[in-house]
Amino acid sequence: MSPATKAVFELVPYLLAFGVGALIPRRQGTLERVAIGVVAALSLALVRGLWPAAADAATPAVAPPEEWPHLLNVIVFVPILGALFVLFLPRQTPALLRRVTMGVLGLDLLASLMLLRVPMSRGWHFQYVVDWLPSFGIRYHVAIDGVSLWMVLLSTVTTPIAAYVSFGSIKKRTKELCFSILLLHGAMLGAFVSLDLFLFYVFWELMLVPMIILIGVWGGVEKIKAAYKFFLYTMAGSVLMLAAILYLVWTHKSLAGYATFDYLALANVVLPRTAAWLCFGAFALAFVIKVPMFPLHTWLPDAHVQAPTGGSIILAAVLLKLGTYGYIRFCMGLFGGPAWSAAANLAGLAVGGGILYGALVAWRQDDIKRLVAYSSVAHMGFVMLGLFSGTRPGVEGAILQMVNHGISTGALFLLVGVIYDRRHTREVREFGGLAKVMPVYAAVFVLVTMSSIGVPGTNGFVGEFMIIMGTFVSLPLGSHGGLQAVLAAFGVILAAVYMLAVVQKMFFGPLTNPKNAQLSDLNVRETIALAPLVALIFIIGLFPSLFLERTRDSVQVVLERYTEGRKSFQEMDPSSTVARLLPRRGGALETGYPEPPGQVDAKPPDPSTPEAEAALDPQQGQP
Amino acid sequence: MIVLPPLVWALLALFCPLLAAIFIGLFARYSGRFSSWLSLAAVLTSLGAAITLLRAQLARPERFLEETVRWLPQGGETLAELGIRLDGTSITMLVVVTAVATLVQVFSLEYMQEESSHAFGRYFGYHSLFVFSMNLLVLAPNLLQLFLGWELVGLTSYLLIGFYWRKPSAARAAVKAFWMTKLADMGLVLGLVVLFTHSGGFSWTATLTPEVATWVSGLLFLAVMGKSAQFPLHVWLPDAMEGPTPVSALLHAATMVAAGVYLIVRTFPLFEQAPDTLTVMTYLGAFTALFAAVIAVVQTDIKKVLAYSTCSQLGYMIAALGAGSVMAGYFHLTTHACFKALLFLGAGAVIHAVHSNELSKMGGLSRSMKLTTVTFVIGALALAGVPGLAGFFSKDLILETLYEKRLWVPLGLLLAAAGLTAFYMGRVVLLAFFGEPRSRAAEHAHDGDAAMSAPLIALAVATVGVGYAASRFAALIGASYAFHVGPVGVLGTALGLGGLALAYMVYGSGAVRLESFALLAPVGRLARSGGVDRAWQYGFRRIALGIAAAVGFIDRYVIDGFMNFLGWGTIVLARRLRRLQTGNVSDYVLAVVVGTIALVAWGLYG
Repeated sequence: MSPATKAVFELVPYLLAFGVGALIPRRQGTLERVAIGVVAALSLALVRGLWPAAADAATPAVAPPEEWPHLLNVIVFVPILGALFVLFLPRQTPALLRRVTMGVLGLDLLASLMLLRVPMSRGWHFQYVVDWLPSFGIRYHVAIDGVSLWMVLLSTVTTPIAAYVSFGSIKKRTKELCFSILLLHGAMLGAFVSLDLFLFYVFWELMLVPMIILIGVWGGVEKIKAAYKFFLYTMAGSVLMLAAILYLVWTHKSLAGYATFDYLALANVVLPRTAAWLCFGAFALAFVIKVPMFPLHTWLPDAHVQAPTGGSIILAAVLLKLGTYGYIRFCMGLFGGPAWSAAANLAGLAVGGGILYGALVAWRQDDIKRLVAYSSVAHMGFVMLGLFSGTRPGVEGAILQMVNHGISTGALFLLVGVIYDRRHTREVREFGGLAKVMPVYAAVFVLVTMSSIGVPGTNGFVGEFMIIMGTFVSLPLGSHGGLQAVLAAFGVILAAVYMLAVVQKMFFGPLTNPKNAQLSDLNVRETIALAPLVALIFIIGLFPSLFLERTRDSVQVVLERYTEGRKSFQEMDPSSTVARLLPRRGGALETGYPEPPGQVDAKPPDPSTPEAEAALDPQQGQP
Repeated sequence: MIVLPPLVWALLALFCPLLAAIFIGLFARYSGRFSSWLSLAAVLTSLGAAITLLRAQLARPERFLEETVRWLPQGGETLAELGIRLDGTSITMLVVVTAVATLVQVFSLEYMQEESSHAFGRYFGYHSLFVFSMNLLVLAPNLLQLFLGWELVGLTSYLLIGFYWRKPSAARAAVKAFWMTKLADMGLVLGLVVLFTHSGGFSWTATLTPEVATWVSGLLFLAVMGKSAQFPLHVWLPDAMEGPTPVSALLHAATMVAAGVYLIVRTFPLFEQAPDTLTVMTYLGAFTALFAAVIAVVQTDIKKVLAYSTCSQLGYMIAALGAGSVMAGYFHLTTHACFKALLFLGAGAVIHAVHSNELSKMGGLSRSMKLTTVTFVIGALALAGVPGLAGFFSKDLILETLYEKRLWVPLGLLLAAAGLTAFYMGRVVLLAFFGEPRSRAAEHAHDGDAAMSAPLIALAVATVGVGYAASRFAALIGASYAFHVGPVGVLGTALGLGGLALAYMVYGSGAVRLESFALLAPVGRLARSGGVDRAWQYGFRRIALGIAAAVGFIDRYVIDGFMNFLGWGTIVLARRLRRLQTGNVSDYVLAVVVGTIALVAWGLYG
């Protein structure tokens, strides 16, 4: 068979998927048909691309493709440069601005898909290190592992959708909108890939600015108040985090003799008890506010209700994930001891204050958007519970659930935006019997609801099930694990209660309100925006292993660090006030370790022999 | 005959309906009629595959086949597998499901023909999805896959009950069914987790310590109580009658509600290790059987009578399984699927003709609806336990089992229920089909066409015949069966016939007037009151919603209020502090002087 014919045959399944997608009846034009067809074909490509290579054992294993070190730079800086570029475009051409924005986001999405070509083995991938402010030990250090990979992809998938939706409903100040979205996107990606704490902090704070603009400029009636609240809450947490970072760096400098903000180096610092607790508290506070967890969650409903649809999607899908991601990476990575000891209490908070409390409050909301916001609190409670459990199914489930929440809740906010655009109200009692006038909308809403309440076959099921499983067997939670698993399972029922109640009130029954009689169904733009989310709901729900396989090794690493941190924390004399530095581990986990100045050319320690490593390590045995 | 490996047949049975469901879901708007044919073709393929498998299995009953693939990894290891398990148990259930589903879909072709093309397609799409989910459950090689199917049939049940979503009552009933079963499913989730923790897998053949076995089986039984509508979780089933009648026949009588019983049959090795759970099952099942039968007597809606009857019969099955006889429980599931589907489809034919569910609008239908009358009466007699029909054999077996195990209390409850069953079925038959027509529609009623008649005939034949297949059935599931006449069987049959006779005297000849028994009045009032349902509603509306309201209040005014107070306090404090900055030099000089004096004083005396 000639290569050309072979290529044609390889294309057949994709063409078929495209055809199926394009032929769905009652579409409103060629654009919509083509777009849905493309989504169908891409979904197939994603599944086939991620399918484990072990399936065709006959072919010799091909070495993984070379990692292009600049890929992450491209992913992070294309949107940021795009944002700057947008500033130079004329304000009078909104169509051009939108097209440029979509183009930049599309390019970013394509670039981020390249990340999937490499299997996520232990260690860091696509690492890029360069000195930034050498006198302070600040470097530009970016890399991903199996945890941040999915966070990056989640943002590169959802942000274009959010932008596309925003362009449909927001017609004023397009230039500022494009700038904000692009800058926000770049900052979020930067925060996910940074391994230098200074760099991380810069991106972390940089995110705030465009988000406040999004809420404050295009928001609802009380937009300024909501933006303030969002800003103050987040600031309060992150300033303390900055203090903790500086303390860590200073401690490292006094131990190792040189300053560095690098995550890999700081992870080896073992702080004395009180200091460790305080630093953990500062980091955890910043992340817990972002997640958000009870009782620091009240900014979220306000921010969501006031934010425009696109802003809500980004906020729910990506921004909240920075809290959970930060907890995995920094709290569990840097302060394993306090994190482990606090896990049982925090897990109680995640269950009681997150899953159950969020669900109960959501139940009583009259505003659909507020309801979805509180359901977010409940779902993020699930994620945090998985992390606190500290078990493999728990943490893997939590990471999957982060992606799931991004997709399902993002889709829910999008759907709420659809009805708000038509009626300019979100009060549940204004609706009823909408399935008559908006059948496709109703069908998609029910489908996303099913995903949100975790029906098998959709993405929500797998994550929730793994988290409950992980909680039950969790070591840190001890005897509370069983009770918390029971309560978490009960939370799933509550989710079904409030979501289905609102579905029933909005879509079923007779169409009583005459204002709803003429509503139009999903338009082309909304359908195209929803199609990839719906496709992902099923892809993750049916083939969870495609995603879990790539987080596997990294979760293993995270848990190793977690237990190690706990061990060194416990071995410490409780009255000791001296910090110490762990020996370097070497190997794939510490590539890019910041060498002391003057030793840059030194040979890195050989990972294969721990003794040799210990002998080589200049810091060995220091107090 | 096409020769294919059994695995291929099983895959065909499983995936044809799924493909049909996906196709209909995407394209039903083109043609509802085409969708229905597609769905029918898929379910027929499933049925063909199931029968082929059954024939092969009958030749070698002890054979079993299990194929799995990894679905959910955890770390490098397998957390969960999906696959197919073929053995006597799963194949018989597969045949029951696909056969009833086929007949119900054929029946629906005519019953639902007045729906719009799109709704018609949607209806068949849901049916295909149901067949897939049910087959997924039936063919499961482990509890996790069973759970997946379990949840999916719950979903399709929600969709089908709410099929007439314009009716608020249907929408409410759908949600209620989903909530109640979901509440019970919590037991299944936790049971799975406990099982996995203690055995490292989801297999039902695991050996557990007695304590763990009690936990696991107890949790599983909680889910069964929800799905199979056992007291006190039965309240969703009567409401589920809001769905189209063929749906009630398929989901809420023959197959889906029986999934709970199937779960116990399937995982009986686990239940066997927990005698306490079995005891609870026997008593609860027997109590439900009698309790639901009492309520069935006072219902005026023909579907509600049948719904409570289903609860009651499921109670029989649970009691039999609790007594340790898989054969009795599972065989009753099979015969019940035949005659209860027949009864529901017959009721559907009546409702289709009369346009009402109320018995008070029927009467005298035997004159105009000959075929429906004959088949319905066969079903009713089978349910009443008249010798020779399917229900007789299986009910007799259950009673014998309890007798052998000397479980006197449950046996007494079941015997009483047997008499009542015959009584309420006699009542329904007499009120609906005999006497004078009580409405205009009843006078002009007529039998359905071929699509509605054929399934009735087929099910009537099965209702007569299945009872005689008991020993082959027993061989398939590795049990033994021999019919013999025992005292308890005679007593049960006598009670059944007595119930029928009493029904005739009350509703036929009018020789006995129930009102003359003063003792019955409070029982009747209690049965009509729907007390359990009201308790649930109270718990839901008052307690749960009340807690939610309280929590919502706390969230808005206490927690958010405190945060806002912090903000407000900061502003107020700032306003106060601002006054210090007067801009007046003399004020500052005064402050400097006072401060200096204070410092000096502190230095001298402090």
